Amino acid sequence: MTATTIAPARRPALSEGLRRKRRQERLRNLAFLSPWLIGVSVFFLYPLVSTVYFSFMKYDGFTAPTWVGLKNWTYVFTDYPFFWPALRNTLWLVIVMVTLRVLFGLGIGLLITKVKTGAGFFRTAFYLPYLAPPVAATMAFAFLLNPGTGPVNNILGSLGLPQPGWFNDPHWSKPALTLLALWGIGDLMVIFMASLLDVPLEQYEAASLDGAGWWQRFKFVTMPNIQPIVLFAVITGVIQTMQYYTQPLVAGKVASGVIGGSGQQFEPGYPEKSTLTLPQLVYHLGFQRFDTGGACVIALVLFGLAMVFTAFLMRRGSGFLATDD
Amino acid sequence: MPRVHRAVLAAAAIALLGTACTGTSTAPAASDDATKDTTITFWHGWSAPSEVAAIDANVKAFEAKFPNIKVKVVGNINDDKIKQALRAGGPNSPDVVSSFTTDNVGTFCASHVFADLKPFLDKSGVDLDKNFPKPLQDYTQFQGTRCTLPLLNDAYGLYYNKDAFKAAGITSPPKTMSEFDAAAKKLTKAKGDSFSQLGFMPNFHGFESTTTHFAAQWNPTYFTAEGKSNLAADPAFANMLKWQSNLVKELGGFAKLEKYRATFGDEFGAKNPFHTGQVAMAIDGEWRLGMAKEAGVKFTMGVAPFPVPDDQADSYGKGYLSGTIIGIANTSQKQNAAWELVKFMTTDTDAVVSFANAIHNVPSTLDALKSPKLTADENFKTFLEIAQHPKSSTTPASPNGGAYQLTLQDFAYAFEAGKQTDLAAGLARTDAQVDKDIAQAK
Amino acid sequence: MSNLLIDRELDVPPATAPGLTAAGRAVRRTRFLNWVAVHAVAVAAALFFVLPFVFVFLTALMSDQQALTRNLWPDSWHWENLRTVWETPGFLTWWKNTLLYAGLGTALTLLSSIPVAYALARFKFRGRNFAMLLVISTMMLPPQVVIVPMYLFWAKQLHLSGTLWPLIIPMAFTDAFSIFLLRQFLLTIPKEYVDAAKVDGCSDFRALVRVILPMAKPAIAAVALFQFFYCWNDYFGPQIYASENPAAWTLSYGLESFKGAHHTNWNLTMAATLLVMAPVIILFFFAQKAFIEGVTLTGVKG
Repeated sequence: MTATTIAPARRPALSEGLRRKRRQERLRNLAFLSPWLIGVSVFFLYPLVSTVYFSFMKYDGFTAPTWVGLKNWTYVFTDYPFFWPALRNTLWLVIVMVTLRVLFGLGIGLLITKVKTGAGFFRTAFYLPYLAPPVAATMAFAFLLNPGTGPVNNILGSLGLPQPGWFNDPHWSKPALTLLALWGIGDLMVIFMASLLDVPLEQYEAASLDGAGWWQRFKFVTMPNIQPIVLFAVITGVIQTMQYYTQPLVAGKVASGVIGGSGQQFEPGYPEKSTLTLPQLVYHLGFQRFDTGGACVIALVLFGLAMVFTAFLMRRGSGFLATDD
Repeated sequence: MPRVHRAVLAAAAIALLGTACTGTSTAPAASDDATKDTTITFWHGWSAPSEVAAIDANVKAFEAKFPNIKVKVVGNINDDKIKQALRAGGPNSPDVVSSFTTDNVGTFCASHVFADLKPFLDKSGVDLDKNFPKPLQDYTQFQGTRCTLPLLNDAYGLYYNKDAFKAAGITSPPKTMSEFDAAAKKLTKAKGDSFSQLGFMPNFHGFESTTTHFAAQWNPTYFTAEGKSNLAADPAFANMLKWQSNLVKELGGFAKLEKYRATFGDEFGAKNPFHTGQVAMAIDGEWRLGMAKEAGVKFTMGVAPFPVPDDQADSYGKGYLSGTIIGIANTSQKQNAAWELVKFMTTDTDAVVSFANAIHNVPSTLDALKSPKLTADENFKTFLEIAQHPKSSTTPASPNGGAYQLTLQDFAYAFEAGKQTDLAAGLARTDAQVDKDIAQAK
Repeated sequence: MSNLLIDRELDVPPATAPGLTAAGRAVRRTRFLNWVAVHAVAVAAALFFVLPFVFVFLTALMSDQQALTRNLWPDSWHWENLRTVWETPGFLTWWKNTLLYAGLGTALTLLSSIPVAYALARFKFRGRNFAMLLVISTMMLPPQVVIVPMYLFWAKQLHLSGTLWPLIIPMAFTDAFSIFLLRQFLLTIPKEYVDAAKVDGCSDFRALVRVILPMAKPAIAAVALFQFFYCWNDYFGPQIYASENPAAWTLSYGLESFKGAHHTNWNLTMAATLLVMAPVIILFFFAQKAFIEGVTLTGVKG
C-alpha cells in the first residue's frame, strides 16, 4: 500500500491561481470517482464491516440480533458438518481442476497457434463452450453424463468400457465437474494463444539454428516467455475456485433429482458432500437455515482465502498497478 | 491513510447502525374484513401442468363460493423461497402458503413466519379431531403451536410386480421383514456380474428407500421429551440399519448394488426401475400408481403395506406418511381472508376430494377419506388404509427443519458402504451432531 | 496487442533453401506429417468441444420416448419441442427479465465505470494506488462474501427483494472488473491526445467523451460484452433476490425450475437449454473480435 503521494502541482509558493487550480482538480477527481466511491462504500466496505458484525451475532431475520461472542465461529469450525468437506473439496479442485485447466488451456492454445487449415473454425469451436451459461452447460452435462440413460455412458457401454456414476457417484462427481470445466476452457485458450503469439519469432529462429528440437524450443523459448501468463492463469484459477458455486450446485440438484418444487429436501453437496464448496455453505446457512451468524463466518473465511491469493497475484503481477508515469 | 478511506469507514459505520436496528417485526393483527372485496396471494409448489390445472380448479371453486375474495395463484415455489420471502415481507410476499415439506413445520412455527391458526380455528369452530387423522394433526404443529393444516397426504407402501411374483412362486406380498428378505432374494436373477432382475434395491440412495421411510416400520422416536436427539437410545434405528445392511449383503453387497443402481433411469421418469422391471419390489408413495399407469407398465402391479419387523407383526399395515401443509403468512395484512381460503382447501370435503382425485394423492380429512366421490381402485385403497393406520408415522418437526434427517442419512450412507462399522458409536456421534445443529439454530 | 486474427508461423522449420533437393523434400514431408498430426489432434479436440452441443441439439428435437434410449439420432424430428418450451408459461417473462437485467446492467456499468477508469488511469491524486488495490480486491471477491448483509439491506430496508433491482442498481455505482479492464486499456492511449485537446480548451470531461471514447471503442465493446454475458449467465444473484417472485425470474434461474417441472422430459429440458444458450452464441458470432481482444486484455497487460 505505497501511496504515491505526488501532489498535483509543484511545491514552491502557491499562487492564488495555482491554488484554485488544485481545488478544481480535486473537485474534478471527486466528480469522476464519485460513482465508485459510493459503490465501494455501500456495496463492499459497509457489507464487509456488517459481515464481521453479524459473525458475532445470533440473527434469524426475525428477532433482534443478539451478541453470542465466538459461538458461530466455534460452530462452523468444530461442529458444522459441511465446513471441512467443503474445504477439502476446494483443495481437491485447486490441485486437480486448476492444474488440468491450465495444462489443457496451454495445450489448446499451442494447438490453435499451429493449426493452419480451418483455424477460424477451430478457434470458434474451442472457444464457444466458454460462453454457454453455466446453468445450461451444467444441465447439458448432467444429461450427457446421466449414468443410466445418458449418451456418454451409452457409448462407453457399447464399447464395453466401464460406465461411471458421474454426478451420482461421490468418487466421480468432482472429475465430472472437472470435465465440465475443461469444456469451458475458452478464456484460458485465448490468453495463452495471445501470449504465445507475442513470443518473438527471432528467439525461435535462433533456437532452431542452434539445433534445438521441439521440446527444447518449448522449454527454453516458449516457457520463459509465457511464464507470467501461466502464473496469472493459476492464480485466477484458484480465485475462481473459491467462487465455484453454480456448477456444483446445479449438478447436485439435477443428479439427485431434487430440483425445483419437489417435496424432498436437497442433500447439500450431493452425492455425499462431494460437491460442496464454500459459497454453497453461505447459501445453506444464510438462506436455507437462516443462521446469519454462521453464514457470515463462512463468508469471512472465503474473504480471507480470496484476499491471500489476490495479494499473491498482485505481488507477482505488479503490472496490475502499473501507471503511465 | 487517505481521507477517502476515513469517509468510507464513517459511511459504513452509519449504514451498519441502520441494519443493526432492524429485525423486530411484530405480528400484524388480523383486522381485515373477509367479507369485503379483496385479493390475496397464494403460493404453492406444484409445477407439473396437470397439477397446476388441478389447483387452479380448486381455487376457482373457492372464488365461486367467496366472490369477494380474488386469489392470485403463484406456483412452483419451494421452501427456500418461502422462508426467504416470509422473512423479507414486502409487496410480493404471499398471504397463503403451502409447502410439500412437513419437515419445515418446526421452522415455520418456531420462528413465527406462519401465523398461529388457533384463534382462527376457534373462531370458525373447527374441531381438529373430527376433521383430521391423528398423525396429520401431529405433523402440522410444533411444540403446541399449530401454524399449519394438512392439505392432502402421502403414504408410503410396498409396490410389487405380480408377474415376477408368480414366476418366482410367491403367492402373497411379504408381511414381515424376514418374509420380505426371502422374497427379495428369490426375485433376484443374476446376469453376468450384475442382475437381470433385482428383488429390491435396499441402498439408501435407491430413490424412496431412505432411512426415514424404512425407519417408520420400527416405530421410531427421534427426539426425547426434552428435544434431544434419540437415535442411539431407541433400538429402532440400530435395528433398521442392521436389517438394511444385512439385506444389502444378502443381495450381493453394496458395491455390486451401487453399480446396478447406476443403470437406473430418473425416479420420476418413465424409466423408473420399477416400471422397467429392473427391480421387482419398491418402496414408494401413492403417486407411483398414476405415474406407472402413464408410463404404460406392461406387468400387473400390486400394492401392499410395507412389511414390519418380525417382533412387531401385529402392527402390519402401517407406513411412513408425509404430506403437503398449508398456512398463513405472519406478515399478511389479510389474514381473515387468507383463513377463508385455508379453511376451504383443508376442510371442505368436496374441495379436498376433487383435488385428491385430480393429483392422485390421499385426501387429508376423515370425511374425504370416506367420501363416495373419491375415485379409488383396489391399489389406491391400500394407501388410504395406510394413511389411517394408527401406527403410521412421520418424521417429527424440529427447529431447524429436516437437518437432523440429513445427518442421520449421512451416517447411514457411511454405514451401508462399510466406511463406518461401529453402529452404536456412530449413532451416538450422530446424536451429538444433531444436538449441536439444533443448539446453533435455537 | 498482437493481431490475433492473423495466423503466424510459429513452427519455424530448419533454415533451408527452397527447391527440390533431397533435403527439401524431407522438409516438405516432415511438414506434411506435422500438418496431419496437428490437424488430427485439432479434430479430436473439436469433437470434445462440439459434441456436447450436438447431443443437446439432437436430444432437444427427439420425442420424449426416444430421449432415454441408446439411439442418438432422432427417429423423427420434433421441432415443436422448441415451440412448447417457448410457450411455457413464464418463459417469455424470463427472457424479458434477463434482457432487462443484462441490457440495463451493461449500460449502467459503462456509464459509471468509464469516468472512474479514466480517472484511475490518468489523474494523479493521493491514494490512487490504494484505490486501484481496492478495485482489484473487489474484483477478486466472491459475491457470497457480502451477500448476507446485502440481502438484509435490500430486503429489509428497501423492500426490493423479489425484483432484479438489487442486482441492477449497484451497477450504476461501477463494476470493479469493468473499471480494471477499461483502465488497462486507457493506459495504452498516449496522453498527448488528451493534452492536445485540453490545449484546445476542452474540459477533462469533454476530452474523455470526444477524444478518448472513440479511441477506446474496442475496449468498451469488450467490457460491454463481458458485462452483458455476466448478467445473462448470472445464477446466484437472481437466486438470492428474485427467486421468491416468479415474475422476476431470469433465464438461468428459470431454466432450473423448468427442469424441476419437467424432470421427466429430457427432450424439453434440452430444448430449453438450447434456447438459453442460443442468444449468447449468436451474439458471439457477431462480436467475436471484441470478445477475444477483451479476454486477452485481462491477462496480457497484467
